[in-house]
Amino acid sequence: MFGLANPDRFARFTRPLVPVLWAAALVLLLTGTWFAFTAPEDYQQGDAMRIMFVHVPAASVGLMIYGALGVSSFFALVFRHPLADAAARASALPGAAYTLLALVTGSIWGKPMWGTWWEWGDARLMSELILLLFYIGYMALRASIDDEAKAARAAAVLGLVGLINLPIVKFSVDWWNTLHQPASLIRADGPSVAEGMLVPLLLMMAAYLIFFLAVWITAIRTEIVRRRVLSIRARKALEA
Amino acid sequence: MVLDLDMGKYAAYVWPAWGISAVVLATLAARALLAARRWSAELKRLENDNDRPQAAQGALGQEADRPQAAQSALGQEK
Repeated sequence: MFGLANPDRFARFTRPLVPVLWAAALVLLLTGTWFAFTAPEDYQQGDAMRIMFVHVPAASVGLMIYGALGVSSFFALVFRHPLADAAARASALPGAAYTLLALVTGSIWGKPMWGTWWEWGDARLMSELILLLFYIGYMALRASIDDEAKAARAAAVLGLVGLINLPIVKFSVDWWNTLHQPASLIRADGPSVAEGMLVPLLLMMAAYLIFFLAVWITAIRTEIVRRRVLSIRARKALEA
Repeated sequence: MVLDLDMGKYAAYVWPAWGISAVVLATLAARALLAARRWSAELKRLENDNDRPQAAQGALGQEADRPQAAQSALGQEK
């Protein structure tokens, strides 16, 4: 585990992994989509229920990605490890994209089901919006500081602070009385999703997760290469 | 197992939700893959530049080891 923290070893180890991840993500996305549109209509929501297959995976994986960003930030801050910082940095954009998708698809789903696109008083909606703002703040902070080492440290602090929001997003539906329904997959009495919908939902969850891993590892590898390019350029500038 | 693409009265909600998701995921993938390709190309270009001035490397003494060490580590990349 810690052996992989060496950027060279990480690059070598993940090289054969990357195409496999991309291929697996594509296959899962296609099969998940197929099952999503062959699943029987919901007896209450009709075809609108099919929005669930793109909404729930984006929301739950988007939340997990922030966990990855927070933990990477911790390792970057405490152990000053460059790979941890690269991992945190590389997770911000896909995390923001997933969270944005969760908000947009949720809003589109909310209109026919709740009669409204958005509800300011809803704890799940608000905490999810705050999650998006943490992602955007993280990227903006990094972009606004020229000194990369300083930017990394400041962003890592922000990344860590944002972890506080994670349990709030997750448990908002239990702690407050929200318009948003409570968790239906991970619960003590087993999933409460009808069987026909469970298969496409799980496939799409796996697809979104593997897709993120493909984007993430590709981006971490790019970050390693980018830093080498920068250091070679800096050395050349010194030699010249 | 019949493919049901008739979303009835919810078509105006289901298709945009799926469409936006597809566009965002495709953009993420394209961005990641293009950036990977661009930075590897740039690294290769810099390394090729390094290969040429042999005399300069020797003159730098200790410095001569470093580009080579970096190259061997990077050589396995791609």
